[in-house]
Formats: sequence, structure tokens, C-alpha cells
Amino acid sequence: MWGQYSYGILVVLVAGVIAFFALAIETDDLHRFLLLDLVEITALGVIALLGTDLAEALILPGLTVGIAEQLALSQIYCTKERIMQNPVKGLNIEVIAKADAPLIISMFLVVYGLILSGFTGGGVAGLGLVFFFMSRGYREDLNLLEMASGISWALWIFAFFCFMFLPQYWFIALMCAAVGIVLKVTVKMSLVGTMWGNGND
Amino acid sequence: MTNLAGVPYYILEFGDELVYFTPYTITLFLLALTFTIFVLISMPERQVDIAFGGDAYTTKVISVSEMRFRRFMAIACGLASMGAMVTGDIFNFTLFTAMVGITNVGIVAAVKSPHVQNAAYQYGLVALSATVPLFGGAAIYAAATGSLSMIELAKGALPAVPFVAKAFLVLGVIGEGMAPFYAAKAEMFRAPGAPYVIMCSLSSLLIFLRVIEVVMLG
Repeated sequence: MWGQYSYGILVVLVAGVIAFFALAIETDDLHRFLLLDLVEITALGVIALLGTDLAEALILPGLTVGIAEQLALSQIYCTKERIMQNPVKGLNIEVIAKADAPLIISMFLVVYGLILSGFTGGGVAGLGLVFFFMSRGYREDLNLLEMASGISWALWIFAFFCFMFLPQYWFIALMCAAVGIVLKVTVKMSLVGTMWGNGND
Repeated sequence: MTNLAGVPYYILEFGDELVYFTPYTITLFLLALTFTIFVLISMPERQVDIAFGGDAYTTKVISVSEMRFRRFMAIACGLASMGAMVTGDIFNFTLFTAMVGITNVGIVAAVKSPHVQNAAYQYGLVALSATVPLFGGAAIYAAATGSLSMIELAKGALPAVPFVAKAFLVLGVIGEGMAPFYAAKAEMFRAPGAPYVIMCSLSSLLIFLRVIEVVMLG
């Protein structure tokens, strides 16, 4: 195992050196920002090489912190370059807006997500809805979606209380948690899809 | 447990995730806490510009919304520093350090001066790339010793920590705002608002003092 780890870390470090070299010779601010994303992935590579459950548990916070920094930096970049004045108005691609393909693809994703259930399923189903809303320029009252998200969150919390205080009803708690989180993640991601652009505010 | 900067007064355990207070860490913790309280109750200074060749001077005006945002970021920075001071887990330490990096950018990002914005962006690039050695170092700690707990590492029963892991950890902390990269931060200090900007320096100093203790373990 130790031998494999050594080879793996060698590969990751070489990748890191290449990425840092690219970062060093690049002068455009936006390009450097995009390259940083690549650099960040090598850090996740080093963590993933642990190859245990611990690695999975460490990648999530690492990824979250990385994304938070990238979001903060992108905001600063927008302010710095004064590009806040022209907001994005969704994907105005005529072919996508009229064809049936987005509907079919997003239905497939939603059904597949429901079958998967849990966090992953929510992600997949949410992605389907995001794609649909983005391609159709759909406008919806966001309050309703937010309410659905809140209720499913409450369901999830309820399931956790069930696990802690009434462990004999674990099956119903498991079902509640799975359904709650699939709804929660789906709705959250579809909110991302509808909030694209400046439609409602 | 002798090289843990003194005998811990108190160890708070959440399974593996533990928090401990030694004479060394409690001093740093109290320093961070005191300064966070200062930030909480103080008003920002108003930077004075003096026109050369005359008696004229102007004070810069800081809007309430800008002040609120910067104060919030400074408090968040103080909380992250406090967390980094007392945590007994290597990976949590790196996460808190990365958070200090983000909040340092946030403290000055609300300022509308292009110089400050540009400096904050450049510093942000360095801080973000510094997370690579930071997290990488922590991961090598776990791979080599099988533990991320500082208490376990201090006992000396685990395999030795490779030098490269310690070097990565220090490199990451340096990238989050210490010596050679400090040039980028110096430009950020053109931002007005004394107590908040000083939080940037203080947090980096505290983190650096803590990482010295961390690399001496194991």
C-alpha cells in the first residue's frame, strides 16, 4: 500500500508543479483565476490518496473552503473590473429554448435522481431541473420553492431526532431522511436555475 | 505530552475532534478573543489625506453598510483565529487557517478603492493557491501517522511525521499571509478603518505562532 501511495503522491506532486508553473507564467488575471481551480484539484488529489473514509470526510470541507474562496475572489474580480453593470440574462440559445431535448433530458435526470434518492439523487434531480429552467428561461414564484425546501429540511431534521430518541423506528426515519434530503437538494439546486439572471428582483 | 507547549489544563473531546487548552494556546486564544471584542465595540478610524503644499486635509467617509460588512468580516476572522488557536486536530487547523485567509480578503474587499481591490485580488490568488500545500500537508500527516489528533501525535507512539508534511504545513500558513507574501497584504492596508485592517495582521501572527507549536509535534 505504501508503494502505491508513494507513486500516487509523486504523480499528484508533478501535476501540482505543472499547475503552479502555469500559474506563474500566466499574466492575465482572469486566466490565473481559472488556473487556480486546477491547482486546487491537486490538493484534493493528495487528500484522496488516503483512500479511506477519512479521505471522503476531509475532501468535503476542503472542497467547500476552496469553492468559498473562489466565489469571494470572483466577486472581487467583478467589482475590480466593473463588470457588475451588465448582468447575465440566462442562456439565450434559440435551439435549446425551442427543442424537446431539454425536457426529455431533465425528465430522465429527475426520474433517475428519485430512484437514487438521498443526497446524490437530490443532486442529480436538481441538475435536471436546473437545466430545464435555464434552457427555458422559466420564471416562477420563488417563495413556493423556498417553502418546499424548508419543509423538506424540517423532515430531515425530524428524521435525525427519530434516530436519536426513537431508534426502534429507524426504518421510517431512514425513509424520512432520504425523501427529505432528495427534496431539499433538488429544490435548492432548481432555485439556482431560476435565480440565474435578474428575472424576479 | 511534554512537548505540547505545557500540560493541557483542559481537554474537550468530541470523539476524534478535540479541543485543548495549554498555557501557550490559552494565551493566544485570549489575545484573539480580546481583539475580537475590541473590533466588536469600536468605530472605524477615518483616514486622513493631506494635500501636499498646503494646509488642506480631508477625512475619508466610511458608509454604514461598508462598516457593517467589514466589522462582520473582522469578527469572523477573530472567530476563525480563536478556532485555530485551540483546535487539537491538524485538519481543522488547516481549515481555520484557510478561513482566516478568506476573511482577510473580505475585510478589505468592501472598500471601493481600485488599489485596494487589486491588492485584495492578488492576495486572494496567493491565499487560494496556499491551500494546496496546507491541505496536502495535513493529508500527508494522516497518511504517514494514521492520526490527525495533536494529542496522539504528542504522545510519540505514532510513526514519525515526514519532514515534507511539516514543510507543506508551514508553507501553506506562510501563503495565507506571512512574510514573503506580505507585500500583497501591505497594499491592502491602504484601506481605511484601523481596527478591522489590523485584524488581518493579528490573525496571521497568531496562526504563525500556533503552527510553530504544531510542527514541533510528532
